[in-house]
Amino acid sequence: MQRIDRLGALLSLVAACALALAPLVVLKANRIVPGQPQALLDVLPAWTVLLLYGVLATAATVALRVQAPRVRLVVALTGMITLALAVATAANDLTPEGNRVLRVAPGAGFWIVMIALGLLATDALTRLKPGPLLRVVILVVVLAALLAALGSGFFDDLSIMREYAVNATRFAREARQHLMLALGSLAAAVMVALPLGVFCHRQPRLKAAVLGTLNFVQTIPSIALFGILMAPLAALAAAWPALASIGVSGIGTAPAAIALFLYSLLPIVGNTVVGLARVSPATVDAAHGMGLTDWQTLRQVELPLALPTILTGIRIVLVQNIGLVTIAALIGGGGFGTFVFQGIGQTAIDLVLLGAIPVVVLAFSASVVLDAIADLTRRVPR
Amino acid sequence: MARFFQALVLAILLLANTTTPASQPVVVSSKLSSESAMIGQMIRLLLEAHGIPTVDRMAIGATPIVRKALLSGEIDLYVEYTGNAGFFFNRPDDPAWKDLQRGYDLGARLDLEANRIVWLAPAAASNSWALAVRRDVAKQNRLATMSDFARWVREGGEVILACSAEFANAGTLKSLEKTYAFHLEPRQKIVLAGGETAATIGAAAARTNGINTAMVYGTDGGIVAADLVLLEDDKHDQPVYAPVPIVREAVLKARPEIAGIVRPLMESFTRESLQALNARVQIDGESSEAVAGDYLRATGFIRPAAGR
Repeated sequence: MQRIDRLGALLSLVAACALALAPLVVLKANRIVPGQPQALLDVLPAWTVLLLYGVLATAATVALRVQAPRVRLVVALTGMITLALAVATAANDLTPEGNRVLRVAPGAGFWIVMIALGLLATDALTRLKPGPLLRVVILVVVLAALLAALGSGFFDDLSIMREYAVNATRFAREARQHLMLALGSLAAAVMVALPLGVFCHRQPRLKAAVLGTLNFVQTIPSIALFGILMAPLAALAAAWPALASIGVSGIGTAPAAIALFLYSLLPIVGNTVVGLARVSPATVDAAHGMGLTDWQTLRQVELPLALPTILTGIRIVLVQNIGLVTIAALIGGGGFGTFVFQGIGQTAIDLVLLGAIPVVVLAFSASVVLDAIADLTRRVPR
Repeated sequence: MARFFQALVLAILLLANTTTPASQPVVVSSKLSSESAMIGQMIRLLLEAHGIPTVDRMAIGATPIVRKALLSGEIDLYVEYTGNAGFFFNRPDDPAWKDLQRGYDLGARLDLEANRIVWLAPAAASNSWALAVRRDVAKQNRLATMSDFARWVREGGEVILACSAEFANAGTLKSLEKTYAFHLEPRQKIVLAGGETAATIGAAAARTNGINTAMVYGTDGGIVAADLVLLEDDKHDQPVYAPVPIVREAVLKARPEIAGIVRPLMESFTRESLQALNARVQIDGESSEAVAGDYLRATGFIRPAAGR
């Protein structure tokens, strides 16, 4: 007898409960009131609903019984696309022409089933063990498809897209600011942390002191660190107007970038130290024996061997920074957090999601890309 | 390496110093709240329409952040509320804050003396704390003012109030109870975590747990949409929080015409017009910039052709 797939059983059970208990579509009289659940059968033609449930049932069956990862992947993706189309169609049908107040939002049921299908797809992908380059290609294709779908206008009646339509210009600006803060602080941190890591490796006595200090920095809650930086930076800017004129001030980009930079140091320094320590002493001895200087040994032997570990540290930092930038909105740093905090202030959950979802997508993408790069360096040691 | 950095810093400093103050655009900013962003956008668009270049830095943070940004010169102008000056200058109990004109005069004087910040013309509408009741309840019990409300409570009216912990425990509610001589039992006060007015208004609109009274701001956009009636503070118990644009003196000296441009705009606001405008942002989800532009065109402050 065929064995039942455990992950498939769990996901099917969760999705089934979600479908039974939580609505797929919620109708709100305006954007800040709680919504009323809508039965899909009241909104969509019966055959569409049947088709959707058919696809979902097939996905559940496959998740339970079929082991072939390709089949599982195809079924999961089909399920996600069908569900998204069904909810978008419902939104189009529920929204009267020209009505700008009524909101149709995906309900809890939608999100849970979507996540279950997403996990099924991710699991299938992992079982297929694609190479690093293929993983990046898949990511690009998925993102492109997502952007094309959202750009097509078919989803425009969904509540989050309505928030986007209102905030489109600001969205682009905040996205740029978000990326700039996350990547800029990362770049600065790499320039400082890499030499610092090498230094710590060479001077074990310093290692404890440096790592201890960085550990301490890491434990300061982010909002507190932003707050701590405000006063000294404002004082600096007041004392030297020249500094103020290049953008150093108590609020905005400067304290956000500095806080992110500080948080970035520990993972990179730590991983550099660990990566270098893992290079076997025999290898280093051999390099010296061949007449390489210390600097040559570091550059041509130790660093290349430690690179995958260092890249893992950089990946941690990038994902962490993309998330942390959200808080920067509280001190005028901008980024997607602006939408999150404005949304909380207006109790407009769709505006919160407009800020939160891109952050999740960005962090996920950054993680996949850097993982792939780390894998590539592991495979082709120079 | 060190020399390289020296050169870099020098280059940046030289670059930064080449911009002259006179040609610099006015940096208009606001707090996170939708009302301050909306009025901020109106001022910005109006300045642009008068040929003054601006930079849009709306919604950069909560009050302490925006205030700090103004004091440090990072922004040039934003919309403050008159009563807040009581907290800035650590004299919240001064009776002047309860009167629009006296509060404005006092705040304007203190801010100019201490920080060289000029208060422009205020709006004649207060965004202070207030209570709002469901329209059906108000009609049934003939409630229009806080005095009516107090009479209703004393007669044993079934009041259930939704408010924030701050409102219930800090001075606001106690002060109202004292001035109007009424008392709410603990079971009549439901404290909502977070304490946003959108939540309290929502609870009253949905009659959650029998809630029929909500803590609100005077110009809250949700009041009309949720069909609540704002109770008039007829004994002027609460400090007045009238929106007032404040600007750095140095900027105003460079462009003195700003004061005259902003005055008629601020004077055009009433509590009802701000409520309706806020509702378009908070409830309908329009962007504050679009609502601001619409208002300026509809009221003739800028000609339709000059809009976006």
